Amino acid sequence: MEPLLEVRDLHVDYLSDGMPPAQVLRGVSFTVSKNEAVGILGESGCGKSTLALAILRLLPSRSRLKGAIFYKSRELTNLPEREMEKLRGAEVSLIFQDAGSSLHPTLRVGTQIADVAAAHHKDWSARQRREGAEAILKEVGFDQVERIYASYPHQLSGGQQQRIAVAQALISGPSLLIADEPTSSLDTTVQAEILALLKRLRREHSLALVFVSHNPAVLAEMADRILVVYAGQIVEEGSAQQVLNSPLHPFALALLRCVPKDVRHNGPDRLLSAIPGSPPDPAETPAGCPFAPRCAERMDVCGSRMPSETRPEPDRKVRCFKYGG
Amino acid sequence: MSRKRMVRIAVVLLSLLYGAILGAGFLAPYDPAEQDRAHPFAPPTRLHFVDAEGSLHGWPFIYGLIPSPDNFAEYQEDRSRAFPVRLFVSGDHYSLLGFSCRRHWFGIDEPGHIFLLGTDGYGRDQFSRLLWGGRISLLAGLIAAALSLSLGMAVGSVSGYFGGFVDDTLMRLVELFLAMPWLYLLFAVRAFLPLHISPTVAFFLLVVVIGTVGWARPARLIRGVVLSARERKYVLAARGFGASDFYLLRRHILPQTMGVFLTQAALLIPQYILAEVTLSFLGLGVGEPVPSWGNMLGSLQQYHILASYWWMLAPALVLVPVFWGYQVLADFLHERLEFGH
Repeated sequence: MEPLLEVRDLHVDYLSDGMPPAQVLRGVSFTVSKNEAVGILGESGCGKSTLALAILRLLPSRSRLKGAIFYKSRELTNLPEREMEKLRGAEVSLIFQDAGSSLHPTLRVGTQIADVAAAHHKDWSARQRREGAEAILKEVGFDQVERIYASYPHQLSGGQQQRIAVAQALISGPSLLIADEPTSSLDTTVQAEILALLKRLRREHSLALVFVSHNPAVLAEMADRILVVYAGQIVEEGSAQQVLNSPLHPFALALLRCVPKDVRHNGPDRLLSAIPGSPPDPAETPAGCPFAPRCAERMDVCGSRMPSETRPEPDRKVRCFKYGG
Repeated sequence: MSRKRMVRIAVVLLSLLYGAILGAGFLAPYDPAEQDRAHPFAPPTRLHFVDAEGSLHGWPFIYGLIPSPDNFAEYQEDRSRAFPVRLFVSGDHYSLLGFSCRRHWFGIDEPGHIFLLGTDGYGRDQFSRLLWGGRISLLAGLIAAALSLSLGMAVGSVSGYFGGFVDDTLMRLVELFLAMPWLYLLFAVRAFLPLHISPTVAFFLLVVVIGTVGWARPARLIRGVVLSARERKYVLAARGFGASDFYLLRRHILPQTMGVFLTQAALLIPQYILAEVTLSFLGLGVGEPVPSWGNMLGSLQQYHILASYWWMLAPALVLVPVFWGYQVLADFLHERLEFGH
């Protein structure tokens, strides 16, 4: 079956005066099928958010994008800006971590939802837009729709704000939702609510999902398939179960060791492990595997060249010399 | 005095002034160009309540003026003839909102004259000229400010929003204009144009020149606001939902420039009033017989007028509350709107 989204050898560099370009993404390729939820797992600064922005061509102006992005077989990287505008929100939507700052502070949230509808349905009357916005507000779990419609963002809680962002994202019926750490700034119970909401909406709207997170536990909940990103490259790819239960790449393994298994059984005497060192500077090109300096299983070959992608098991990919490379 | 009270006073004062110049035709007892050759440099007419016999009147009256017997340049009140001040009298023609009227707020029966602020060298009523002259000076400030703010808004928002090469080019142009000594530039432009042009043409030339020179500062300030507004997370989020450039400018970015826009307006209007006054004072603005505060002050270039006829300073005195009012307003807007968001 033809994938909904296909990203092929995507490179993104951030440019700055008098400094070498920061290579934030270095050849990322993956596909997302219809109705599939793909989790993107990685540390801060590994390029996860850049990937989310790059798909919709929302990168800052001082950046360079190479590679190809196909959405429903249309190449997005050379699409005119006008066409991109029609696509954003109507075909592919994007929500962010901090919904509070993603909403305009002095406009009523209902208006902000209706504005999205207006951008994609030029023929809708003000009344239709309002009804559309109220319907989607009900769908994202609000009861007092009228009151919420007339609220300003600061009158809502973090969870409610994120629901508003979800309503904005879904009002024009996209087939793909990109969520960039949508629950990371919320407390645990609210996080669970939002995750449950996204799961339900995914089912009801037959939505494909690209879910960016640094939290493996959240991805265990949400993702069918997981891509592990390190220093702008996909180092491991497989089904959520495979990646989370038996990670292949030493980085994925180390990352999962950092997660408390079960809070109730972890007494204060059990120390969580941390990965020593820090991710490489994106402005420098490491000679070998970028994870090598921090890797517990490092070999001689690791520092000399980049391992290539191998398939140690069917449907799994990894970039590590342990598996050939 | 509390801040709020001061702002209220400033607003009331400015509204009264603008109201007065709009109703100049009605409020002024005489046509601004009408000359009374018998009364050059007459001092402000005194209003009396007590007559020569010492009895009190409930309504003010004035005496006629006669030249002083020992000094030709001075006047005496002619106590033998009293003229009561009359309200809503019929007098010179003027047009108000397109209607031709001749009803005036107050007046004196012929052959008496009432000069509330004295007369100039041609015997023209200073009070009437002050009101009519305010039209030229205050409207020049408003129109020139509107012109340079709209230019500044257009350049600033394009520059800030689109950035890159466009921004660089426009900002170099802004710096060029900021570096220009604008008063001398105005002299040069005005001097380049024909000397004898009709007052209407002169007025519009003046306004256009003042307005097109001053757009650079508001342009740069608005660019700054747009630049920071463009980087907000919710602008990116709106783009993610398919917002166009036009939508973002209209809904998210330009409303944020409102504070700077209004503050700049409150700063630029008095500055441009002063520019008109300066140019007309130097004879480069609106010419005789049309009054403007600048050309009314122009006669003070002659020392004996400055020394002898204090009432000729009236236009300079009304500039004080105008500037004070705008200054208070600008301060208030700056604090309320620019640091609010």
